Amino acid sequence: MAVDTNKLSSAESLSKTRTYGKFRCHNPTCMGRLEPKPGDKHVKCPVCTCEFRVAWIRPDFPRIRGPVWEVNKKLADAAFKKKMEGK
Amino acid sequence: MALDRKIAYIDLATGEIEVKPIPLDVRRKFLGGRGLDAYLLLNHSKKGCDPLGPDNPLIVSGGILTATCASATARTHVMAKSPLTGLLGSCNMGGFFAPEMAWAGFHHLVIKGKAEKPSYIYIHNGEIQIRDAKDIWGKTTTDAQWAIRDELNDQEVKSLVIGPAGENLVVFANVMTGIKNAGGRTGMGAVMGSKNLKAIACRGTMDIKIAHPVEALEYNKHFIDQITSAKVNKTQGTLGTPFIWGATNSWGGVRTRNFQYNQCEYADDIEPEAIDEICEDTMGPYHMSGCFGCQVHCRAQYRIPSGPLKGKYDEGPEYTSQGAFGGETDTPRAETVLVGNHLVNQYGMDNLETGSLISWAMELYEKGILTSKDTDGLDLKFGNDEAVLEMIERICFRKGKVADALANGGIPASKTFGKNSFDYLIQVKGMSNLHSDERATPGLALNIATSSRGSDHLRSRPAIDLYHLPEKVLKKIYSSPIPYDGPLSSEHTEYIGKAWQVFWQENCYMGVDCLGICKYHTTFLGATLPNFEDWPKVLYYNTGLEFTPEELWDIAERCNMVERLFNLREGLTRDDLEKGDMINHRYFDEPTRRGAPDVVGTTIDREKFSKMIDEFYEHKGLDQKGKPTTKTLKRLGLANEPSHML
Repeated sequence: MAVDTNKLSSAESLSKTRTYGKFRCHNPTCMGRLEPKPGDKHVKCPVCTCEFRVAWIRPDFPRIRGPVWEVNKKLADAAFKKKMEGK
Repeated sequence: MALDRKIAYIDLATGEIEVKPIPLDVRRKFLGGRGLDAYLLLNHSKKGCDPLGPDNPLIVSGGILTATCASATARTHVMAKSPLTGLLGSCNMGGFFAPEMAWAGFHHLVIKGKAEKPSYIYIHNGEIQIRDAKDIWGKTTTDAQWAIRDELNDQEVKSLVIGPAGENLVVFANVMTGIKNAGGRTGMGAVMGSKNLKAIACRGTMDIKIAHPVEALEYNKHFIDQITSAKVNKTQGTLGTPFIWGATNSWGGVRTRNFQYNQCEYADDIEPEAIDEICEDTMGPYHMSGCFGCQVHCRAQYRIPSGPLKGKYDEGPEYTSQGAFGGETDTPRAETVLVGNHLVNQYGMDNLETGSLISWAMELYEKGILTSKDTDGLDLKFGNDEAVLEMIERICFRKGKVADALANGGIPASKTFGKNSFDYLIQVKGMSNLHSDERATPGLALNIATSSRGSDHLRSRPAIDLYHLPEKVLKKIYSSPIPYDGPLSSEHTEYIGKAWQVFWQENCYMGVDCLGICKYHTTFLGATLPNFEDWPKVLYYNTGLEFTPEELWDIAERCNMVERLFNLREGLTRDDLEKGDMINHRYFDEPTRRGAPDVVGTTIDREKFSKMIDEFYEHKGLDQKGKPTTKTLKRLGLANEPSHML
């Protein structure tokens, strides 16, 4: 079989674009790129102002642990009220 | 060769056993695993057969790569007509069973008939025995496996077992192997129970010849690097699958209080890092383990940290148990999740179905459709941890009116409970949804609506849709190996291009299920994991079979169509809420109330949803009623099914 081991598949070539240290805001249409400083426990999205608690898989690899409940709940309640008024 | 593994046809009523090879032309059409199982089911079952009757064939398999040098070929697949849905029954689990079955000489078992008394099948190096299970019947899933090992005096035996739930014909009973590897959807454990079949035990030391062993091992190093370097797998190896629930809950994609909310607020106690701390406290720093040949190690080990069952060992919990016994029932407490997980593992019950039905019953209780008289005094309110755990036990042992009805599945239970109870049942084709809430994710809603085994995330979910990948990246993934020039959207709240993504994922997941590889090793949760373009090399080095990526796509499409043919034969229609490609009215009528600001206030748009179904059918080559056209069947080589080649 003519197996071309030198040619990268789509998945392999995409892995070259992988970034550590950043993640996207969990607010769907915001998609802001967030980059907490090493060890940070909180991060605020500069675009939509949602706030998240941060956990670290390893020192250079953060993930969103969950929302800062009080902050994001307030934003969600306001958004819900606005959307329902428009309906 | 791996291709030397055979099919055994076992009749439990007569004791007759027939062994056949798997012809190469069948392999080239259906590969193995789930795809070949679907072909066997369509050919060996009759229209309208009773799922709990002797004529329903129970099919057990490994994939074509099982037990080879390829990475993570641990998956065991089980298929039959489902007693839960009356349609396709199918479940898939990790662990060590399928490789052992392959070393014992078999890739597929077709089990028919009903044993006169409780029995188990023992397969050892090409020999098959049907043995008495009187001393094993009644045991929990773990105890049954240990008892079989003791009886056979071989601690290396791997068994596929049912627990008390399967024996009691709970229609969502699991097939289990190991402590927590669960074939946990569509009630395959009940099918085993209906056959008086407690277990299938395997022990094999036969050789598996690899076509090109040096190249296979060399390439596998590369394959492993691709798998372990993915960010998603690094997270899995640290936190296990609970991270999925945590991330989904963060933006508002999990069902809470049945379907009233889409986020479990202040669920800090069951967040993945919190559960990981318990695992570390009770099991030490090296508490993650894995399945056969897997380097990801996503399986956590723990002991219950407190309460009456303190100290009991178990594995997981998977994200599904967080959803089932934490979010849906609004009991987000670690002890409840860990104990609930332990109980369903030991009883052999589907955690997703169990938690969903309990939370549905809780909403009915809240609305007065069920009362404390119905529940024999149990206060079945949301947030009642004790009620959740009590209901698990009651369902398994069919204690009381409500639990006994739930043990028959959601749709039959809704007919028992009456009133408008069915309106609140969150299911597709009779199977309850995962704990996820798809109102803000039209692509995921399409996935659960059209999944071949009922509402399900493991059949066609475009999970990477949640990552907001740039469109050029989506294009790269979704236009190979088959060109796609249509639109794609980075936003998971959109409807654009989602039908193609679901179609692509459906074929991708069928591909891995035929190979026998875990879905965490393909484009499920990570965009950089292997798929069609990568698989030909693994297949060639290990089996000698040559395929192009396009040919593998065709095989996957063909196998998915065989599942569709089975479902159509058994009554699938497009818009039927009980047996169709349709979701509950609440998706269209009740807006989400929680989650991220862009998620709140969303519903699925009925017209756009219907259009997505149209598009999805078009991609699959179905007519507007969801039936394959003559041209499609011809293109896929299925015009003469059932063809009885095996």
